[in-house]
Amino acid sequence: MGTGTNRNGLGGASLARADGLRIARVAPRKRVIAVSGASSFLGRNLVGLLESDDATAKIVVVDVQAPRTAGSKTRFYQLDLTQPAVDARVAEILGAEEVDTFVHLAFLSSPSHAGAWAHELESVGTMHVLNACREQRIQKFILRSQTALYGAHASNPNFLTESHAVRGLPHTQFLADKIDAEKETRKFAQSAPHACTTILRFAPVLGPTANNFLTRWLSRRFVPTVLGFDPLLQFVHEMDALAALKLAIARDVPGTFNVIGDGVLPVSTVVKLAGRTALPMPWTVLQQLTALGWSANAAEVPPSFLAYLRFLCVADGERAAAELGFRAAYTTREAVLDFGGALRLRDARLLQDAP
Amino acid sequence: MAKDRNKRPSRGEPPAASAGEQKGRATPRVTPKPAMKTLPNKRPGARRAPALRATPPEPPPATRTARATSAAGTRAAPRTKSDAGTRAAPRVNTDTTAITPKRERPSARPTARRGEPPAPTAPKSRATTPSLIPVPVLEAAAFGPPGITIDADDVETMAVDAPQFDAQPFDGELKEPAVDDDRVSGAPEHDVYANDYYMRQWGRAGLRGRSEQVDEFGLDPTFEARFRRGFEVLFRKYFRVDVSGLENVPGEGRALLVSNHSGTFPWDGVMLKTAIHLDHPSRRDLRWLTEDFVFHFPFLGTFLNRIGAVRANPENAERLLARDELVAVFPEGIQGIGKLYRQRYQLQRFGRGGYIKLALRTGATIIPTAIVGAEETNPLLFKLGWLSKLTGLPYLPVTPTFPWLGPLGLVPLPSKWKIVFGPPIDLSEHGPEGADDAILVNRLNERIRAVIQTMVDDSLAGRDSAFFG
Repeated sequence: MGTGTNRNGLGGASLARADGLRIARVAPRKRVIAVSGASSFLGRNLVGLLESDDATAKIVVVDVQAPRTAGSKTRFYQLDLTQPAVDARVAEILGAEEVDTFVHLAFLSSPSHAGAWAHELESVGTMHVLNACREQRIQKFILRSQTALYGAHASNPNFLTESHAVRGLPHTQFLADKIDAEKETRKFAQSAPHACTTILRFAPVLGPTANNFLTRWLSRRFVPTVLGFDPLLQFVHEMDALAALKLAIARDVPGTFNVIGDGVLPVSTVVKLAGRTALPMPWTVLQQLTALGWSANAAEVPPSFLAYLRFLCVADGERAAAELGFRAAYTTREAVLDFGGALRLRDARLLQDAP
Repeated sequence: MAKDRNKRPSRGEPPAASAGEQKGRATPRVTPKPAMKTLPNKRPGARRAPALRATPPEPPPATRTARATSAAGTRAAPRTKSDAGTRAAPRVNTDTTAITPKRERPSARPTARRGEPPAPTAPKSRATTPSLIPVPVLEAAAFGPPGITIDADDVETMAVDAPQFDAQPFDGELKEPAVDDDRVSGAPEHDVYANDYYMRQWGRAGLRGRSEQVDEFGLDPTFEARFRRGFEVLFRKYFRVDVSGLENVPGEGRALLVSNHSGTFPWDGVMLKTAIHLDHPSRRDLRWLTEDFVFHFPFLGTFLNRIGAVRANPENAERLLARDELVAVFPEGIQGIGKLYRQRYQLQRFGRGGYIKLALRTGATIIPTAIVGAEETNPLLFKLGWLSKLTGLPYLPVTPTFPWLGPLGLVPLPSKWKIVFGPPIDLSEHGPEGADDAILVNRLNERIRAVIQTMVDDSLAGRDSAFFG
């Protein structure tokens, strides 16, 4: 409590303490924002955005590596969230820098072969971060999550709302770790009602500069798909994803929100719009090939991810629109077109550079 | 012919709007709507889909271009020509293209002015949808960005337009001095540019036969239009469907068609849709709910989804009804299509009355529907359970034709069909809270089942032969 009082005494918001109210500081107070995983795609760009944001006083980066977008506002602390006693260190930094907002982005964008390490980083790392936030009574916590956590299941409705259970996929550690992180965060939200805890579930991020397993899958000349299945896909453009993140920082709206681009497209149309050729394969064949490819490091994903090419995993963005005030500027189709344009440009450059 | 073709895009469009498109990007739709709103009903000629607006005989071509490029955020902005739009001054700047020698035009066109290396699919920003059917307003609005509502007109423009390829005669209404551009002076080869064949066929790596945008439940209007004719032939000539009681189906607003389900292979949903589309004065679209195993059956499920089927699920149904759609449900589900021939026209259990809860919650009226004739399309003699384990199906059907004739056995027999729509049943007196009353739901469920059974029996009584009616 002592630290909380001290921190509140700073920045001209101490009057909020007088009547015992714990209202998030508004206009006059500039935010001090801590970002973990700032070298990730979203983190890097978020730091760049916050650098030029007037409402941000300071950016505290907690990561193994400084983002290349870091500027004068950024303070970088080299920290590895997989280390055992890292929570004390994080808490120390948060206290020293008087951080009021923590944006937790330290998640892998693509499945990793180093499952144990990924578990330490995502599941345990989130626990460490949340412990530090508890200790320092952080005002606001934002977690980056994914709509993919709902999992692609035959029993999914066409539009999954935030109230649906995040079921993940069987034998998929990549999703299980993130579900763990979400659970931890929800527990944090219950135990720390003074903090505004926002969980943003992003649809698969697509755009000219994003790089994840999805973009690598779509960058193949021949894109493997499942024969006889053509489920609807949904994406969010990278700029919309950043806009949503920024919005969540600017507005104090607790809760879980799906961040999606409007509209859906069948897999085959997505592949065509990206200018690629679909290579439909029977389910069992594709599964075996992917398993082989995954163990040989030639496939982007383990075979369990192929469920996304068979069943629906589409989220509903109504709540984000109504409560957070977020509407994507790019539709799913436009995100694919944007990505496809960049892809073609890349292809053409490759052709030019070829000897 | 089209003398001013390469000037048109420079007029009346926001300069920045097409910049993103030039880079092969989809620009976020931030273009202010009024630009387009000031140009109502002026779209000339309307090569395709003129249904939604009156078309004055010879409006200025510029109007159309401005409309197309500004409409809904430049999504259909012409790739090559709208370059002019990125420059500040209209009209004059486009003369850079006029300097280009005549012969070079076809090759220079797609790539040269974009500052991009030549990409294999140069004309990719072209909308290639030969969309003959207007996209429903609701659907468009569902995809719209904040603050901008899109009406059917816009959607159509996005999907269809290829302004600079239009062979509209220049009627001299433009006040600027006409530039003598001999490259477009009506040489026969330039008809190629006026024709959208190429784009339709090969643009965007060949999206022919499908739309670029499906509706939120997966209905693809272009794809569906390809099969509509075939269904109509099936409906009129093959099954010779008699439809009665169509006046009971509302022309607008939400309603729930509750029907019996039969026939081993679910033809009844498609025929019901065709019946509404052909014979109902509103010609409205029917969305029907299919059971899981059909919906996730390879090829079949995808096909049905693209022509309008939706996976049976309370959330989906509620969402559809909230959009004021006409929704058909087959509460018997798999029990219905999987009943043996000797049990024909004996309605099975109507699930657990999920559709009753749905109607109570959404306030939709229930229209009991009887389909007679579908039982005889593929008479189910018996079911092989042990083989179904192997194939992952709920059962493997054995009909007089099916396993014996191979895939040919799947062809339905030409039975004579009859579809009867009963008088609507309004459940609103029970209110939405009635959905939580299990006893009430069960009672209503039984009542509606009895109504439909009676309708089926009545239709059967008036029928002499399964194949000749």
